[in-house]
Amino acid sequence: MKMFDMEIDGRAVRGREGQTVLEVARDAGIEIPTLCYSDETEHIGGCRICSVQVETNGRKSIVTSCSYPADEGLKVTTNSPKIRKMRRTILELAAVNSGPDVAGDFFSLAREYGADLTRFSSIVSGEMRSCILCGLCVNKCREATHDGAIGFVGRGVHKRVVRFPEKAQTCANCNYCNNICPTGRIKQGGPDPPFPTVDDVLSGRA
Amino acid sequence: MKLECSHCHYVWDYRGENRFYATCPQCRYKVKVPQGSAEKARPAQATLTKEPVKLRGTAAIVGRFLDRHGHDKEALIQVLLGIQGSVGWLPQEMITEVSRQMEVPYSQVYQVATFYKAFSLAPRGKHLIKVCNGTSCNVRGAQKVIEGLERKLGIGRDETTLDGRFSLETVNCIGCCAMGPMITIDDEYFGKMTPANLDGILGRFR
Amino acid sequence: MSAKIGSPKELEKLRKEIEGNKGPYRIIVSVCSSTGCVALGSKTILKTLREKLAAEGLEKDVEVKETGCLGFCEKGPRVTVYPGGISYFQVMPEDVSEIVDGALRGGKPLERLLLKDEKGKPAKRLEEIPFYRLQHRLLLSDNEKIDPRKIGDYISIGGYSALAKVLIEWTPEQVLGEVKRSGLRGRGGGGFPTWRKWESTRDAPGSPKYVIVNCDEGDPGAFMDRSMMEGNPHKVLEGLMIGAYAMGASKGYIYIREEYPIAFSNVKAAIEQAREYGLIGEGILGSSFSFDVKVHSGAGAFVSGESSALVEAIEGRVGEPRPKYVHIAEKGINGKPTCLNNVKTWASVPMIVLNGGEWFSKVGTERSTGTTIFSLVGNVNNTGLVEVPMGITLREMVYKIGGGVRGGKGFKAVQTGGPSGGFIPESQLDLKVDFDALTEAGSMMGSGSMVVMNDDACMVDAARYFVDFLLEESCGKCVPCREGLRVLSATLGRICEGRGEPSDLDTVREVTDLMKTASLCSLGKTAANPVLTSMRYFPDEWTAHVEDKICPAKKCKALIRYEVDAGKCKSCGLCAKGCPVGAATWEKKQPAVIDAVKCIKCGECLDACKFGAVTKVSGLQVPAKSVRGRR
Repeated sequence: MKMFDMEIDGRAVRGREGQTVLEVARDAGIEIPTLCYSDETEHIGGCRICSVQVETNGRKSIVTSCSYPADEGLKVTTNSPKIRKMRRTILELAAVNSGPDVAGDFFSLAREYGADLTRFSSIVSGEMRSCILCGLCVNKCREATHDGAIGFVGRGVHKRVVRFPEKAQTCANCNYCNNICPTGRIKQGGPDPPFPTVDDVLSGRA
Repeated sequence: MKLECSHCHYVWDYRGENRFYATCPQCRYKVKVPQGSAEKARPAQATLTKEPVKLRGTAAIVGRFLDRHGHDKEALIQVLLGIQGSVGWLPQEMITEVSRQMEVPYSQVYQVATFYKAFSLAPRGKHLIKVCNGTSCNVRGAQKVIEGLERKLGIGRDETTLDGRFSLETVNCIGCCAMGPMITIDDEYFGKMTPANLDGILGRFR
Repeated sequence: MSAKIGSPKELEKLRKEIEGNKGPYRIIVSVCSSTGCVALGSKTILKTLREKLAAEGLEKDVEVKETGCLGFCEKGPRVTVYPGGISYFQVMPEDVSEIVDGALRGGKPLERLLLKDEKGKPAKRLEEIPFYRLQHRLLLSDNEKIDPRKIGDYISIGGYSALAKVLIEWTPEQVLGEVKRSGLRGRGGGGFPTWRKWESTRDAPGSPKYVIVNCDEGDPGAFMDRSMMEGNPHKVLEGLMIGAYAMGASKGYIYIREEYPIAFSNVKAAIEQAREYGLIGEGILGSSFSFDVKVHSGAGAFVSGESSALVEAIEGRVGEPRPKYVHIAEKGINGKPTCLNNVKTWASVPMIVLNGGEWFSKVGTERSTGTTIFSLVGNVNNTGLVEVPMGITLREMVYKIGGGVRGGKGFKAVQTGGPSGGFIPESQLDLKVDFDALTEAGSMMGSGSMVVMNDDACMVDAARYFVDFLLEESCGKCVPCREGLRVLSATLGRICEGRGEPSDLDTVREVTDLMKTASLCSLGKTAANPVLTSMRYFPDEWTAHVEDKICPAKKCKALIRYEVDAGKCKSCGLCAKGCPVGAATWEKKQPAVIDAVKCIKCGECLDACKFGAVTKVSGLQVPAKSVRGRR
């Protein structure tokens, strides 16, 4: 397996071929915040919180460390003021859908970055039930049960997580969903995941 | 029935068939339909009981489209389009059957069926009116045509009239930008539309 | 006897056979059957034509051809008569008889159905009118001669000879070299050098390799891909196969938007016929190259036109883009190397092979070679498809080819590049249209749509239109795009309703900045362009909305009132008749009155008034009831 040298926050680190910047950082004990990332399920790359600055061949750009392939000679900055401000705004935007009532990783990150989760709530709001639509619970449920007792419906701002009552018996009480939820929306596992039914959402009742 | 929008206070004569909410033609906000109103609206959702169409032989219908498009998972969207073209919409029985025969997770079929705007999970009117709201049609007056249709039919976008005759949708570009504003009704195209020639054209569709 | 063509010699033989076998016909009547002319009634014309021929026993004298789009959709339906190639426009079913009889007699062409040049003289040849004179129609010119559902027509004009040449005489490296020499850049909007994309796909490990034709054409206002796929699908197929040969790909997909049923049907027919003739399948034209292609229909999602989202859609999943750091050239369909190009890019390839890359590079500008097809639409006199060499100026497009703004109104801006592009004002009209110049101005070329806007357009409302469009079309996977668009839409909505604050403009700038850096795909990254160009080139309109609560263009409903000018009113009552809510009232011999509280600003009264007595006013107090809007 090919190994190479790169730099994170001024520190020299070793990376392996096929690793992402995030994996290399974690191996080296460097913390980069994540919300929608889990090494237990398929890659999403949607929350954008893990954004870092990379420099390669003299060109700098902002990328998400969970998806960017690590390579020889890469120079990574994980924590400049510009990146911190970006992360703060991302958290504030994510709160548009979730509302300020959150727990877990999302809550601790918001506190760490000084994000005002009510910043945009006077302008617009989404579901307000602590969900940031990361998709981790949906992915895990599909892995555990194949059909999925919960799933996504809709697109864009109409995207919601719903449960399928007709698939209730497939909910295996496996607790994967509440273990992986980064906002504390799912406080306990099945067999009744705390989401509206698919019909309630599609017909507008919920 | 007369509905008043709680947001912009627009009052209009709602003649759609949604039981729970209507779209305000003025500001497009979702307005709750008062429950227990005298007019019994036709159930809009497939999964509610007593649909007007009882489906038989879903397995055979689905099998037919699988033979046409292939049994691979990649044909999912093509199969769903085929079924919708034949049945008119996607009832829940079809979705269950497609998930079973194609071995695609149930939640994924629902995700696909609600992500793409071409699919409808509720029965639609006999004649489907699509108004183009692309940039060219928009600057040539499509907004007036949409408002005219909403006023004449008494429904908002993505809604069906109570008598089941018309459903109204907007699309983003049919590709006839030079003859805007464009509408299509079933498979017929009508160009250079104005609110004035709406009556004549609607009258051709019983 | 099998129809399969086993070698280039057989192809040439077949071509000569078809040329020599044109049938007993004395004249050919070609009727445009693309969606545009169909919408204006060309099916009725065909029906009338066929009925006449049957009734008068003329079926052996007159050949009826259903052909593709010539581009001048404003003046459809189009009928062309051969010999002579005289094109008639705005043809009605009643004219059919006269056209046929006149052509059979060999008399003069019907002047009243010809287009007029700028001096008002009827033009027998298309090049005589400005709309066509400035065009350089390399891609679209075959459309009027061939029936897309008859492969014989395409073969008779030399079709598939480029493929034959490449398969038998050239190596894949030679094809790549020729495309590199041509300087061809992707016509889908990105403008990425085509040869580099082909090279990356060729070099990436993995098999089988895939090629994709992107006919999603989501940009509203763009319909050139539709025209190309409806009118000449074989040309695109041929280019696709040449590219596949160059890259070592053996499987292809054609992804067509759901809103283009005629294109879908024509492409399917073309593939079936090509398969029958052995031009698709194993051992094409006697070479060792094998290729198969499938057609997939879209299902109504703008975002699925993005290359990685399109790959997801082909795999039967939701069209959400993938992280862009690993290009689909390395890992595309099923993780295999995939090359995705636009319809016009593939269609340019056969002529590059036949005429040489250098010939192609001489057209256009140094860094943007060749021709490209624009759809010139909106409030312009001559709307339609225009194929021009790169480097023509916007002013020539709008005024010389387009004939100026419709209805005698003033020019405001031209919107290029769809929702990822921006607005170009009058001051920038001398920009040369190519990939780089438009990007510098803050817009981009995109797929080539050019929407001309007149001075009825409010630039703040126009920015809001695009934000709302993208809001509905965003896939919702990443936070910056989904929530950023939600915040932008609400903020712009407030500004258009007269509740904007100066701090709103700071919010807009901050959010658009974040979207540019942090979004997953270019939908989010370029979503800011319409807003930013509107703010850059029309700052006065924004200040008026935010600080003075006035809409200078008198478009934003919450900021205008409809009023009757008593001096001009003739008390005819037409406005009251047209008013759907009873806000306009009048009494005999009294000027009409519009009740601002009941008025829903639909504009029917203004359209109805023949004396110009109804006007829109902005800046006066508007009743509170109609000011409230979305939360």
